[in-house]
Amino acid sequence: MGSSNPILDEVKPAILKEVDPVDIPRPALVENNRSFSWITDKICGIVEEKTPTWWWVCFIIACAGASFTVMGLVYLVATGTGVWGLANPANWGWAIVNFVFWIGIGHAGTLISAILCLLRQKWRTSINRAAEAMTIFAVVCAGIFPVFHVGRVWMAWFLFPIPNANAIWPNFRSALLWDVFAVSTYGTVSVLFWYVGLIPDLASVRDRAKNKIRQVLYGIFAMGWRGSNRQWSNYEMCYLLLAGLSTPLVLSVHTIVSFDFAISLLPGWHTTIFPPYFVAGAIFSGFGMVLTLMLPLRAIYRLEDLITQYHIDCMTKIILATGTMVGYAYGMEFFIAAYGANDFEIFAFVNRAFGNYAWAYWIMISCNVISPQFFWFKKIRENTALVWIITIFVNIGMWFERFVIAVTTLTRDFVPSSWGYYSPTIIDIFTYLGTFGLFSVLFLLFLRFLPLMAMAEIKVVTPQADPHNH
Amino acid sequence: MSEDFSPNPKKWLAIGVVGLTISFVGFFVDTQLAVWSYLIGLIFITSIAVGMLFLVMIHHIFDAEWSVIVRRQAEHYISALPYMGFLFIPLFIITYMGKDQGILWLWMNQDAPLHGHGTVSTDILYQKKTWWLSETFFWARAFFCFAVWTYFARAFRKNSFTQDQDGSPNHTFSSRKHAAAGLILVALTWTSAAFDWIMGLEYHWFSTMFGVWIFASAMRAALSVMLLTCAFLVAKGPLKGILNTKHLHDVATLAFAFTVFWAYISFSQYFLIWNANIPEETFWFNDREKGIWWPISMILIFGYFLFPFLYMLQFPLKTNFKSMTFMATWVLGLNLLDVFFNVLPSLKDSHGEPFQLFSSFHNIIWYISGVAGAGGVLLWAYWSSFLKTKIIPIRDPRIRDCLNHNH
Repeated sequence: MGSSNPILDEVKPAILKEVDPVDIPRPALVENNRSFSWITDKICGIVEEKTPTWWWVCFIIACAGASFTVMGLVYLVATGTGVWGLANPANWGWAIVNFVFWIGIGHAGTLISAILCLLRQKWRTSINRAAEAMTIFAVVCAGIFPVFHVGRVWMAWFLFPIPNANAIWPNFRSALLWDVFAVSTYGTVSVLFWYVGLIPDLASVRDRAKNKIRQVLYGIFAMGWRGSNRQWSNYEMCYLLLAGLSTPLVLSVHTIVSFDFAISLLPGWHTTIFPPYFVAGAIFSGFGMVLTLMLPLRAIYRLEDLITQYHIDCMTKIILATGTMVGYAYGMEFFIAAYGANDFEIFAFVNRAFGNYAWAYWIMISCNVISPQFFWFKKIRENTALVWIITIFVNIGMWFERFVIAVTTLTRDFVPSSWGYYSPTIIDIFTYLGTFGLFSVLFLLFLRFLPLMAMAEIKVVTPQADPHNH
Repeated sequence: MSEDFSPNPKKWLAIGVVGLTISFVGFFVDTQLAVWSYLIGLIFITSIAVGMLFLVMIHHIFDAEWSVIVRRQAEHYISALPYMGFLFIPLFIITYMGKDQGILWLWMNQDAPLHGHGTVSTDILYQKKTWWLSETFFWARAFFCFAVWTYFARAFRKNSFTQDQDGSPNHTFSSRKHAAAGLILVALTWTSAAFDWIMGLEYHWFSTMFGVWIFASAMRAALSVMLLTCAFLVAKGPLKGILNTKHLHDVATLAFAFTVFWAYISFSQYFLIWNANIPEETFWFNDREKGIWWPISMILIFGYFLFPFLYMLQFPLKTNFKSMTFMATWVLGLNLLDVFFNVLPSLKDSHGEPFQLFSSFHNIIWYISGVAGAGGVLLWAYWSSFLKTKIIPIRDPRIRDCLNHNH
């Protein structure tokens, strides 16, 4: 003990002479020995090139898709929440399912930026920017559902504890109110984190701008970034602090979303493992969506040198790990339902697996627990088309997970005479499908106007940035 | 290794034997408490060893570089896992073959009276749980748990130590594969152990979170022991000039992360049960609010979470061997208290009230002997293994990066 830096006051121990590591090189994070300028050209080029035709095609389709959500919501506001398929006792249906689905997707971005940053996982640099953008857009899509489920949407601001003339306060004991705080905090910090990361890259785009308008606009958002030593050191500290702040938020949001269910007394909902189980599921679905988006982009923009096979390996392994954790939670729920010997709890789970909605349950199990197991095999991880297909299954499976949780429990409540079969209406379906359009519109705009990857961070992890091999 | 440092494993074995002997005497003097204390000691020490096994597997699965020299110490600790299995044999004899079957796990005694409602065999909850609460199945599970842990412990040790000799990369690849499979199997077996050994003490109670809780608990125990080991080996010489404050900082940060994780899990479990307020779940916590267990639960909140949390937020303290030695000792002590908190109130006195920690002064003898017995064996296993191998894995692929660790 004693000394705080043993290296300085000690001669090298003899054992160090025997050190002779086996050679298992780490995979390069940027392949083909690309230079700094190549990286800048590549990423800025995407923003600077003439808008490609495929972008316009996708954008128009996405706008058309988003219009379904808009129309669905207009119709809902004009008519009432009855246009959704909600009917007692299933007072929660697709709206909560879609909300939790999108919020879950929104977890990967901040996880990649914050937690992987704290864990010093350098491979995050190629994917964090797009994943963070995805996070923010997913939170936007998620927010639509609870806000419109309020019915009289112009009263939604009552959710905030704002003193008003009628002295109406929200119920602080409701998890739905905690959601308001959790999600809005998460959204705010995610935007901040994303924007701080963007600043140096916005400055690069500004400096390369060929016309005045572009220069001024990017200049405003780059906040006068000059890349000085002092700016960088402040930037790094700010980034680290935001990473530290975001880390608990990644956990808190989905924990509180899980409380929406778990603090109730309903069989199938009230179970203590919900918080970590929901967080694992959220990370699982988030990474599914990251790969769903990044694999096509990698092919379109020829980004193989930046998103390497190693990146895909890492992400698929995280999907495998979190999918298996979700499987563990499914197992625990069933086990404790049986072990707890509560008839209602046992019924809830038997009903899930073999009741009216058994089809949904088995879709969930196949997509969430079985499909990621393919990622044990290197051959499959190296086949991008297959990886992409499996990530689609992951997305589907996680939507069904929320569906199974919400609907199986509600449609079989404590009064058998009120049991029924919940089905969505056409409005439900279109409103939900439209959110994919909205999500795509936002993501396409992001691709067009902001650097897709964190250039400055990628440069740090290239071999050239570390000439002395430390 | 410095010349004047010569650990003596036999000394620790002697302490272990003394502890076991006292527990054995206790079996005849104060039967029930001695057996319960023995179980507490065994769970506490086993959780350290299982936590170390998790650390080794996590290292391999991440292909981490900073933790190579730390991993070697964990590899020594996991050699104790089969011995912990042997130490379970007395419990097997007492509960499976002996007359006092319900002495620990009440459900094992069909005729044990339940306060207010008949005996175990007439208890509707017991009747519905017999598919899991069967003695043969229980001991088969315990055997399987130790078989799995021993298998993986041996595999990681063999790979690592053989690589010191032959320098083949295949050992690293083999360890990575073992880690992937091991994480799943050890997670499942450790969950089952938690359900059986702790949750089963009060077989009416259930919580899906319990497996996650015991994982968090084991990680905190193992990381505290790791911090103490690192500080000791640097102070005594063997790791002086090898393990620096950056490594210490990383282990301490991990300990910090699991402090938060433990709090998250424990809070969620408590909160969801408290909020739902269903008597069939809340009684477990109600028992833990009676008598001395109330101040102890406060100590766990403020001493086991809040204080370490605020302490380890601070960079200067995480990079100082002395301050981390203090914190690791503190956390390890409270980890033991947490095991007491989870186990001992399940023991009921003649009025059906939870057993009080210091109901009698000499209780402490059995508490100490229970922990010393298993603990002595753990440290004996550690030092025996320590003496047989290189102080650091000299041929590990990441060893040079680890030694130059300067993030």
